[in-house]
Amino acid sequence: MKLTQIFAVVVILAATGTAIAQPSAEAAPPDQTVVRDAAIRQAAYLARVDEVLNWRASGATVQTDDPGNLGLAAIASKLALGEDLENCSLSVIEVMKDPGTGPFWMFPNVGVAFLGRDLLSAAAQAAIRETWRTTRQLRGDTENHWVMYYASLYLMSELYPNEPGESWYNGLSSEENLAEARAFLIDWIDLTTTVGQGEFNATHYIGEYAIPMLYLKAWAEDPEMQQRGEMMLDWLFAELANNTLNGVLRGPNSRTDEGSVIERWNALSSYFSWLLFGNTPPTRGYGGWGIYFATVAQHYQLPEVIYRLATDRGDDFVQHDRARVRRRWRYSEELSPPVYKTQYLRDDYAVGSTTGGQLDPIQAHVWDVTWDEPDPRGKHNTMFSLHPLSSGRVMQMYFTAYPEPWIKGVTNEGKPSYDSPDKVVGSSPYEQVFQSLDTVIALYDIPAGTRFPHINGFFSKDLVNLTEDDSGWIFAQGGRTYLAYRPLAGYHWIPYLHYNGGWAKEKLPLGGQLLTSPHLKNGTIVQAASVDEFASFADFKQAMRALPLEFSLEPTPTVTMTTLRGKHLLITYGEAPVVDDEPLDYSQWKLFEGPHLNAEIGGRKMTITHGQLQRVLDFNTLTISDSVTAGK
Amino acid sequence: MKTILTLFTLVASTMFLTAAPEYDFYICAKVNRDYVIGSKVETVNGVFKRTDDGSWEHQGYNDTTLTAVAFDPRDHNVVYTSANNGLWRSLDGGQHWRICNDWDMTEARHVAVDPNAPDHVYLSLPDGIAVSTDRAQTLVRRENGLPERGKYTQLVAIDRTQAGRAFAGCEVGIFFTENGAESWRRVLETADITNDIKQSPHDPDHWLAVTQSAGAWSSHDRGLTWSQIDGVPSAHSLHNVTFDMTNPQRLAVGSWGLGVLTSEDGGKTWQDRNAGLPEPHRVWRVGVDPSGRLYASVHKQTLFYSDDFGRTWQPDTLVGSLVNYFVILPKADR
Repeated sequence: MKLTQIFAVVVILAATGTAIAQPSAEAAPPDQTVVRDAAIRQAAYLARVDEVLNWRASGATVQTDDPGNLGLAAIASKLALGEDLENCSLSVIEVMKDPGTGPFWMFPNVGVAFLGRDLLSAAAQAAIRETWRTTRQLRGDTENHWVMYYASLYLMSELYPNEPGESWYNGLSSEENLAEARAFLIDWIDLTTTVGQGEFNATHYIGEYAIPMLYLKAWAEDPEMQQRGEMMLDWLFAELANNTLNGVLRGPNSRTDEGSVIERWNALSSYFSWLLFGNTPPTRGYGGWGIYFATVAQHYQLPEVIYRLATDRGDDFVQHDRARVRRRWRYSEELSPPVYKTQYLRDDYAVGSTTGGQLDPIQAHVWDVTWDEPDPRGKHNTMFSLHPLSSGRVMQMYFTAYPEPWIKGVTNEGKPSYDSPDKVVGSSPYEQVFQSLDTVIALYDIPAGTRFPHINGFFSKDLVNLTEDDSGWIFAQGGRTYLAYRPLAGYHWIPYLHYNGGWAKEKLPLGGQLLTSPHLKNGTIVQAASVDEFASFADFKQAMRALPLEFSLEPTPTVTMTTLRGKHLLITYGEAPVVDDEPLDYSQWKLFEGPHLNAEIGGRKMTITHGQLQRVLDFNTLTISDSVTAGK
Repeated sequence: MKTILTLFTLVASTMFLTAAPEYDFYICAKVNRDYVIGSKVETVNGVFKRTDDGSWEHQGYNDTTLTAVAFDPRDHNVVYTSANNGLWRSLDGGQHWRICNDWDMTEARHVAVDPNAPDHVYLSLPDGIAVSTDRAQTLVRRENGLPERGKYTQLVAIDRTQAGRAFAGCEVGIFFTENGAESWRRVLETADITNDIKQSPHDPDHWLAVTQSAGAWSSHDRGLTWSQIDGVPSAHSLHNVTFDMTNPQRLAVGSWGLGVLTSEDGGKTWQDRNAGLPEPHRVWRVGVDPSGRLYASVHKQTLFYSDDFGRTWQPDTLVGSLVNYFVILPKADR
């Protein structure tokens, strides 16, 4: 086993010598054998880092004839590798002549500034510094914007201390900027570790948090801020590890997009799984922003307990977590209502959900069943339903905007499906979801007059044996998972058409179909099971047909059923779920509760457990405690 | 204080006597269409001042997110802008700027300076109101009397006749203070956000307000009681309202859906003045300059002007602009 791993490392190292190649993206899926030797694990991690840096430094997919005109990502990669330094300096001077504005420009700029501290020419460093005097930087309006903005400002203020307000774009001195950035970062960490993340389980935006935290870990002068950076990385990656199915992050997601929500692997989160856990292929281009993590990746060593959480699964497990909705400026009784998440993970599939309602206004994904695929690339390995809400007023809840231009506006600003009736991304105030292990009941009560008065159920091209049964159940198989989908109202099928990217103008027929049900009072029941649990697909179908199930849609949708796992459920829209005759009280849920992650609301402390391994992240004392419990 | 009052008295009296009153005319405009965080700023945006030859002169920073601009009436080199980052202040006519708020204030909607207490600056926020009493050197929240939820504040409009007297346009209505925001009370409950509040330049007791979906409102008792204006429909969002300082009978409303509505009888009757403007009628803001020229900023189009109060329109020279704010200021020595 050990030899296999060493061989794999050698192969990867050898491959990195080839310009432009993305060996891991093009190769077969990685061996998912658990690597127990820490040295081999770390060597493999650093080999993957080198693969990324070499690919980007060598020009990525775009070659330039002008070595003095490299982009920031290539410059950062070359600086990390310590190569081509003269051209890096020339390129920096060129790039800084036309600086950008906002956090997505700030953090690459900071990366180059710090990586180049001892490598770039004085003129190049001065050019970087000058942009922080001349160019007004927008802070943005979203949590990830602010984390990037303030981590960047924090580090640059430390890099250039004791400088007056005139030398900064915002008129504040280095010390004032440092103090404000520090205050925000500590407040954000405090919020996250007491009531949860606002942008939880984001498929792409995980990078916008992880990269700033790694920068702090690597470059902050204040040891306490370094420690906060490292602990937040552990916090983020522990949750990623716990929620992934062989490296693939599934729902629910505070923010995602069309590509990731159907092809669950196709997300920046998979790049992080590949880089950190080595258990799934990286996305092409290493996730774009992921490059910047790689440039500093040697400053972070993944704790074994988190690695094992991602790669060394034993029993099925349930995790209950809390998070929060991004802040609502108006039209809401609460600024940031709580989100209650349920995760159930098994070898062959995983089921995850929130309780529904209005989450992120554009990009939320509320629930799904996702099955494992040996090679997840190109596979639409998921099933779910949603109400495709499109609402200017909902936008106004979260943004300081007028309602009218927003719907059209967001479709032109990276979210092309927002106003499409057949979209597959989004949350709705008219959806309520309950999950018990691998059973999901989603109920809908859509007011008359609502734009898009129907629900969509996603049926993947990769399902086999799709059967519309006389019983009312729709049966199918995905991977090694049997699936039963019960629409509670009449429906018809339409082809699934896909916006291929945030700026796409046309939809592509990628296969698959949508179950569209044009009824205001509506519902979906999904039950999953492993193929190992039944002698045949027919047996699974028969077991489902035999389950006690009653439902009605008027006056409000309600379902009474016994699940495949023997749970008796009474689920009514607008009322607390009743499980085995006991009403469920979500308010009692902890921040994290499960066999692997545990944290109390308000606790500022997470306990990460895998087998005998345990790590405690205590933000009250800014300490990390590792322990190994004998005998577990 | 006496100087300021004298200045405004002079302004009020001279505006009717002089053919070409000495005013400056400013706008906050965004020219960079579809800018989102992370994309490139490709054009000049922010505060523009109209020059004597009718062109627009950019002043200060290039910022796509400005919502309003305000000046210290004693010294126009003291400039305040509200923007995505919060409140910016320049003490030297826009050469250097300082962000005045901490991280817990964001996405400012509007800024106003009390003409009778010019050190007092009011910042409207999506979660309330902050006030400075020292020219924005420090800012504190002053929200006593505002509801815990529903205090989204689109603007604070200040009564030019009395220091510390102001109205806040909020999510759930119009709130009133007469003690410099030490306390607020609601004087009009509305079903939706108040988008604009204006005091007449002719009659300081006369105020107008427009809302997102609750129509237009008028007050003739210094803003203490309000009545709905019958001639302005509430079916479409009303973005702003303006008086014409050259003619007390002329009013204009900018609306998404209704376009430009004008009244030339003090608000008794209203006319659709969209002929010549591009369809659909998505007017972001209307403004009237010191000479009585009416402007309409049309979404995704540009700025238009009319010299016959909306009967005919011509495109302005600031091509592709979207105006967030119009300001008329008495010219200052500095």
